[in-house]
Amino acid sequence: MSTIPINPVLPFLRTDRMPTIWCPGCGIGTTVNCFARALLDSGVDLKHLAIVSGIGCTGRVAGYVKLDSFHTTHGRAIPFATGLKLANPKLNVVVYSGDGDLSAIGGNHLIHAARRNIDIKVICVNNLIYAMTGGQTAPTTPGHVITSTHPYGTFDPNFNLPHLVEAAGAVYVARWTTFHVRQIARSMAEVFKKPGFCFIEILSPCPTLYQRRNKMGDGLDTMKFYKEHSKIKNGVSTSEVGLTRNGDIIVGKFVDRDRSDYLTMAHDQFVEALGDRYVDECAAECCEEGI
Amino acid sequence: MATLAPAVEEKKGGERTALITGSEAIAVACQLADVDVITAYPIRPYDTVMQYIAKLVSNGEMDCEYIVAEGEHSQFEIVKHASAVGARVFCGSSGVGWMYAMEALTVTPALRIPMVCMVGNRALDDPGAFGTEHNDALAVRDLGWMLTWVDSGQEALDSTLIAYRVAEDRRIFLPCAISCDGAFLTHSQSLLQIPSQEQVNEFLPRYNRADLLLHPDNPITVAPQANEDWVMEIRRQNYAAMERTYGVIKEAFADFERIFGRSYGNPFFEEYMTDDADVVLMGMGTLSTPVKVAIRQMRKAGKKVGFVRLRWFRPFAAEELAQCLSRFQAVGVIDRDYSFGSPHSGGVVAGEVRNALYPGAGKKPPVLGFICGLGGREVTIPDVEKITESVYQAAEGKRQPLTQWIGLRE
Ligand SMILES: Cc1ncc(C[n+]2csc(CCOP(=O)(O)OP(=O)(O)O)c2C)c(N)n1
Ligand code: SF4
Ligand SMILES: [Mg+2]
Repeated sequence: MSTIPINPVLPFLRTDRMPTIWCPGCGIGTTVNCFARALLDSGVDLKHLAIVSGIGCTGRVAGYVKLDSFHTTHGRAIPFATGLKLANPKLNVVVYSGDGDLSAIGGNHLIHAARRNIDIKVICVNNLIYAMTGGQTAPTTPGHVITSTHPYGTFDPNFNLPHLVEAAGAVYVARWTTFHVRQIARSMAEVFKKPGFCFIEILSPCPTLYQRRNKMGDGLDTMKFYKEHSKIKNGVSTSEVGLTRNGDIIVGKFVDRDRSDYLTMAHDQFVEALGDRYVDECAAECCEEGI
Repeated sequence: MATLAPAVEEKKGGERTALITGSEAIAVACQLADVDVITAYPIRPYDTVMQYIAKLVSNGEMDCEYIVAEGEHSQFEIVKHASAVGARVFCGSSGVGWMYAMEALTVTPALRIPMVCMVGNRALDDPGAFGTEHNDALAVRDLGWMLTWVDSGQEALDSTLIAYRVAEDRRIFLPCAISCDGAFLTHSQSLLQIPSQEQVNEFLPRYNRADLLLHPDNPITVAPQANEDWVMEIRRQNYAAMERTYGVIKEAFADFERIFGRSYGNPFFEEYMTDDADVVLMGMGTLSTPVKVAIRQMRKAGKKVGFVRLRWFRPFAAEELAQCLSRFQAVGVIDRDYSFGSPHSGGVVAGEVRNALYPGAGKKPPVLGFICGLGGREVTIPDVEKITESVYQAAEGKRQPLTQWIGLRE
């Protein structure tokens, strides 16, 4: 008797919520697949994993994964995740959101969480626009790109996100495209184990609103573009990885360094200031009870 | 001049007829008003306005500075300050986007900035619905914003011009938000009269900030710190400005009629089939469409029902409204909003209508409140019939609940 093999990532998905809202050729689903693979490969404890999303096409991830998840307001995924982590440091907290959500309306939270080295893992699906609302120019949109707010092309400079978060203090920074499925899964598995503020940027096609308007073809054409234009440069200076409309895409793991995370710094400071009088209540109680 | 519209007919003197959406109508009004600075941040349904404006600017049909800000808070801050240096400004948002700008929205009337905004009415989060609800714009009702609700593309266009005229009047200098129901109005097309540039120029003088202009030749401090020494006097000035809006709005509507040849009758509320009505329904925005259809049907069955559509919520023409409502045996107010824990746990408009009726000497019909059409749910003709039934019962002296939820899935 033959059996139909079950997709190994299925247990992580809410199949009752399928089909997803994502368009054919959209890259967000690919990243979720990589995420599920990373969960399998890393053996991370699912009981202590929480996914926090903002609002957007990417933000919908929170509703499709069969894990503890939160669909927060637009831009607020990082403060929400910060609260989760501080209240229950045992949790592995993953922020999964779009470029607009994380770097525009939520941009301030991004740099401050990196500065404090809050122990959260940020997965930023960068389709270079605000997709859900109709493809408007975002802070990540490269110059000379047609968007619904710049019908004749953008002109204001875009953020180089790896550079931004490295400068702000992130301890792990990588970038891949949705063509690099193995590398994405490996990076994700790596950050589950890495303490501190980790940032993975994933360039992802939005054929409906970005590629189409810019005559860049469909999802498959974008995969070919990613394949031809991606240059893996691990450890390269993030100042050199800015994105342009048609230029090369530098991918790889750019930053992997160690520094104390926020809770460790807080703990050390209290010990230094208070000595024996300091009782780490969190370590003593909350974590045991798993609140 | 190139236009956005698929169907355009040129009429005498540069007036045009065009088939456009409510959002396009607002964009066209901004073009005609020759707005100087516009900021945007996408959120449905307001984003359609910003996209039409982006097109006009990119096509060279509109000369203005246009910035896509990084969030609503910056969006509203940028135009606020542009207005302080003498620029005519436009801005807008919807639902939580509008709420996210709340700090800027609070400061704007306090600084006497005549910002004109469009609110594409949308339910507040959670649960993140896109459909229409009025709580977004209503959230600023106590802060010194003028608030108007429109029910057609034509009224959206005309009200935008009127809003500039009133807001930028030196006697007023208060911001004005034009509320358009998400989807029902923002996204539906209708045939509109687009006035000529000459008409608009005659109606709308250039914005002149006069002695309040922030300019090197006129050194002033905007928003200096004041405490209990002056805060009451500052608030009182805002109060006085809002009191003056009644007269200035009337003037503007009269001039509008003279120049554009279109009359809205009473600027503050529209009356529909009220002449011989026993009872009336009330509401704001595009509710008018199903309500008017239902009224026409009910009238065929001999029910003398009318409709009073509130056009201006701030200022609230309390005395005129009380006088109008005293003609009827009962009133049913349909709220596309909620005010949990308010008197009788009713909607915002119902509460205001009762408040308006209370002090007057005239006859006070019973006022029933109905919460209906939340989250963009359609207000259906059977809903309106059910509401009317209850209002009739109240007219006959039968006790009715003061607040009822209509169209709710049980
Ligand atoms: C305060 C607020 N402003 C605006 C919006 C509208 N909005 C929803 S999704 C979105 C943009 C999402 O862009 P991004 O984060 O890049 O996600 P994508 O859809 O591209 O995956 C915006 C502006 C909102 N929900 N809340
Ligand atoms: S609009 Fe773009 S980002 Fe959103 S689901 Fe479609 S392809 Fe994906
Ligand atoms: Mg995006």
